[in-house]
Amino acid sequence: MADQRFRLPEGGRIDRSKPIRFRFNGRAFEGYAGDTLASALLANGVGVVGRSFKLRRPRGIVGAGAEEPNAIFDIGRGSAARPNQRATQAELYEGLVARSTKGWPSPGFDVGAINDRLSRLLGAGFYYKTFMRPKSFWRLYERFIRASAGFGRVPAGPDPDRYEHVNAHCDVLVAGGGPAGLMAALAAARAGARVVLADDQSEFGGRLLAAAETIDHRPAADWVTATVEELAGHADVRLLPRSTVFGYFDHNFLGIAERCNDHLPASARSGPRERLWRIRAREVVLAQGAFERPLVFCNNDRPGVMLASAVSTYVRRYGVCPGSRAVVFTNNDSAYQTAIDLRKAGATVVLVDSRAGGARLAADAASEVGIPILQGHVVSDVDGTDHVTVAHIAQWDGDPGKTVTSTISIDCDLVAVSGGWSPAVHLHSQSGGRNAWDEREHCFVPGEPAQASIAAGSGNGKWSLAECLEDGLTAGREAAQRAGFDAGHVTVPAAGDTFCGGTEPLWRVPAAQEPERCPKQFVDFQNDTSVADIRLAVREGYLNVEHVKRYTALGFGTDQGKLGNINGMAILAECRDEPIPAVGTTTFRPAYTPVSFGVGAGANVGELFDPVRKTAIHEAHEAAGAPMEVVGQWHRPWYFPRSAEDLHAAVARECRAVRNSVGVMDASTLGKIDARGPDVVEFLERIYTHDVGKMAVGRCAYGILLGEDGMLMDDGVMARVGEQRFYLTTTTGGAAAVLAWLEKWLQTEWPGLEVYLTSLTDHYSTIAVAGPDSRKVLENIGCSIDLGRDAFPFMTVREAELGGVAVQLFRVSFSGELAFEINVASQHARAMWDTVMKAGSEFGITPYGTETMHVLRAEKGFVIVGQETDGSVTPVDLGMNWLLSKNKDFLGKRSLARADCRREDRKQLVGLLSVDGQTVLPEGAQLVSDPGAGIPVPMCGHVTSSYMSACLGHPIALALVEGGRGRRDETLHCMLRDGTAVPVRVAAPVFYDPKGERQNA
Amino acid sequence: MPERGSARVVTDAGFVNLRGNAEDAEFMHRAARVLDQPLPAEPNTISIAGHRVYWLGPDEWLIRCAAGQAAGVVAALEDALAGLHVAVNDVSGGNVAIDLAGAAVRDLLARGSTLDFHPRAFRPGDCAQTGLAKAGVLVGQLTDAPTFELVVRRSFADYVLRWLRHSGSGLGIEFA
Repeated sequence: MADQRFRLPEGGRIDRSKPIRFRFNGRAFEGYAGDTLASALLANGVGVVGRSFKLRRPRGIVGAGAEEPNAIFDIGRGSAARPNQRATQAELYEGLVARSTKGWPSPGFDVGAINDRLSRLLGAGFYYKTFMRPKSFWRLYERFIRASAGFGRVPAGPDPDRYEHVNAHCDVLVAGGGPAGLMAALAAARAGARVVLADDQSEFGGRLLAAAETIDHRPAADWVTATVEELAGHADVRLLPRSTVFGYFDHNFLGIAERCNDHLPASARSGPRERLWRIRAREVVLAQGAFERPLVFCNNDRPGVMLASAVSTYVRRYGVCPGSRAVVFTNNDSAYQTAIDLRKAGATVVLVDSRAGGARLAADAASEVGIPILQGHVVSDVDGTDHVTVAHIAQWDGDPGKTVTSTISIDCDLVAVSGGWSPAVHLHSQSGGRNAWDEREHCFVPGEPAQASIAAGSGNGKWSLAECLEDGLTAGREAAQRAGFDAGHVTVPAAGDTFCGGTEPLWRVPAAQEPERCPKQFVDFQNDTSVADIRLAVREGYLNVEHVKRYTALGFGTDQGKLGNINGMAILAECRDEPIPAVGTTTFRPAYTPVSFGVGAGANVGELFDPVRKTAIHEAHEAAGAPMEVVGQWHRPWYFPRSAEDLHAAVARECRAVRNSVGVMDASTLGKIDARGPDVVEFLERIYTHDVGKMAVGRCAYGILLGEDGMLMDDGVMARVGEQRFYLTTTTGGAAAVLAWLEKWLQTEWPGLEVYLTSLTDHYSTIAVAGPDSRKVLENIGCSIDLGRDAFPFMTVREAELGGVAVQLFRVSFSGELAFEINVASQHARAMWDTVMKAGSEFGITPYGTETMHVLRAEKGFVIVGQETDGSVTPVDLGMNWLLSKNKDFLGKRSLARADCRREDRKQLVGLLSVDGQTVLPEGAQLVSDPGAGIPVPMCGHVTSSYMSACLGHPIALALVEGGRGRRDETLHCMLRDGTAVPVRVAAPVFYDPKGERQNA
Repeated sequence: MPERGSARVVTDAGFVNLRGNAEDAEFMHRAARVLDQPLPAEPNTISIAGHRVYWLGPDEWLIRCAAGQAAGVVAALEDALAGLHVAVNDVSGGNVAIDLAGAAVRDLLARGSTLDFHPRAFRPGDCAQTGLAKAGVLVGQLTDAPTFELVVRRSFADYVLRWLRHSGSGLGIEFA
């Protein structure tokens, strides 16, 4: 086990009494409670943590937060492992296992490092230029490119963790819990507002957790503790640590991903792993802080080159000093604090300040602790492959176009860099707000808000602690006031001095030669984008920032350019010889940092993926062992196998039972609508195509609805149950749409019609008893009305009592047999089903499922909406002219008169019989007249339904065929997937009992 | 963990759907008289007395009555409203009621509904037709305790209950 030789003897927010063991790339290490994986690796002197994406250069830890480009690991074991996690934000826990995502066979020795030697060939656009030809080879290239483009491994097994979604509302959402965010939350909370404070770290405080400054003359962290305590005491304040506000959407809707479990050892985890907070906020305070920019010099990607602020964080918060001989290279004042922190931690430090004038206040403080300062100098190059060894320093006069000559070389093991600061404008940009270029501070700051938001703190370009606290207070107070609360009483605490500001632009550091000839100067570490790549893109004509991004891959990757983008855009501006704001930024899109698929899915997986709608009789079907077919969201019994029967055997048996004796089906999923009122006939006349008014009370009719385009939309039986009252049925899948369609016409187009609609779909269960013996089954149960054919003829409805239970009885048939449909209130449905089964046992009553229903109706040529139709089929195409009233107008009627709807060669419904009497055609198969015709073979139709008919002893099919009705007995060919052509004969679409005598029995 | 909330399915609740013209004083008067409580005219509110009458729309109400009362309520309404353009339907078979009680219920509802159930925003006597997870539901707050009633279409009840059990398991909600 490696020792923690870079750990300082004291200091930091870690608990040295709680050692924590973990493994990285197979090696055992130890850290302390309070560490991140990154701080623990640095404590153990692990320099190389991965390889770069393209050139496979060794890379080390650069940052201490969301900006980290290199320390990207797969963390965890087995299916619960997480790819592409930032070690800088992964809290250490006992037993943590992490692997580098890049570097094969190991980050220390990577066979792909040969790419670095070839780097001059691998400039921007290399892939675009190389792998385009020959075009057909792309699939081959792609395999190798993807294999070598090693990012994290996704576990193969299903994710064992659970996730959840929570919707929340608040008056003020504060994104970021640093000094500005805490002040804002405090102000809003004291005003009485409902506040949500979210921060992506394990503790609130942001930079105050590593701050040198004081608040109210005490360590800043004490103020954080007191403030968080007060906030936690407010009933309407919700504190969300370990929670990243990752998306700012329209109407002040924001997404927060809370990591509930990832900081705990596996044995201590319970509940959801992550929680997605869907927040609707009246006001948002954006206090996300700022990112320090790296400096762009030769070999600036070498392990040991780190952000200055990150170095301070490791020293002050984690008690880790990442080097003992440090060079601090800066163009602003903030890194002076890093130099002082390093010096106090015992390192030797040289400060290299690119500014001729250097710093003011900060310089005195640095000199006081004995730090030599080289003003007007730059680090132009560094030596070292696996770790930085020497920094080459040159004098520079501030002219960005010049080359420089290195005159000083300093042995070192750490180069801490600061190229100035960029506010995290991500959420502001996502909300639709523009960014403004701050000429004084040399950074983009949030411009006018596009939504109800206020930026504050260093995220608003305020650098000193005093300014951040003041800005946060103002923002919190204003947000609460805008949300309708009187501002609470809060004063700004006294903040100690901060070394900050004074940035003089240094977008790329001059070197001994032009960027094209000197060692690579990296702008984007994750994608190996260098200064030379950006300049090449511009030379090749890619001027727009979005084009440059895509050509050079600048800002792609898991860090989304948090580190390198602003430098890259400034370098682009230099190439274009334009000011930076004229170049602008690329688009900031959600997510701010990557969000797992799991938290996106929440609980909507497995049995909760989609609602399963069940009929009141569902349990009986399950008990009978029926496999279910999913119809819309309904689960309907598909067939009822006996012992070892397969689908075909069961369906053949079920079909024969209905045709020869009696079957029973659960038809409860049909849509059912009660329609009534003085104008109900007029209303339905306009909706349906047949003459509704001619229906006598007690009569049923088959009705169809057309869209305004004349196409068949839905169908179903309707019954006139009173002078001013109808009972409508719809297809299973169309129930909700039809009710909405009817309400739409009533409410928006014909509000004068007095009609009320009520959905009865769930109230009534429907049991269809079909077959020659069906009447006897009902008689066996005991029915209050005469069921004889004259008293209760086909296509009529009756109120009755069946076995003492009130029911509606319909003499309708979807099988072509004598049949009754029993409508019973759902709370009595299961009992009624059992009663029917018992009463039918002496006739061998056979429950049947949707498959048998389909075969039986196809034998009769009855269409199914959505199977024979697809939104482009008119009733005329289906041969339903008899349903189209000539006596009235109805929706869609005019469209049927369009020339296109009257074409003779439209696809029309026909029956198909395989010439060999055996082949069951595949549904959806295309039909052709001449299979020998040249490619493309003209197609003349397609199969819509196809089954083996047990009762007829041969296969049957329905099809839509161009001009089909005029092609009776013609032979067409059905094309199979393997290219075979099956000869089929065009027939009438009714195969069984064409005169319809059986249903009238 | 002490029980922070409870859920109980009421399988035999009675439900009557009523449609009529709220602008028609005669209708409102006659309906109120026969029900012995007013039809709520204020959107998304419940009239809580002998029955719970939920406002569903400008011309639609759902009367939640005790087990076995629905047929009687239908008959009484049809009788009292004879001659008016109304629609009275027994929909007892179509709905399942779920009683929810306890402090954790607000957290539970927040896991599936986008509405704000904070006491400042949703009070006793308020109701809403909304989505809970992926099902449409009617939710009403009955008392300050708080107690809520969830009305779910029968075919969705199994899904909603599975969802409630799953989402309530971490919140200390007991299922009866």
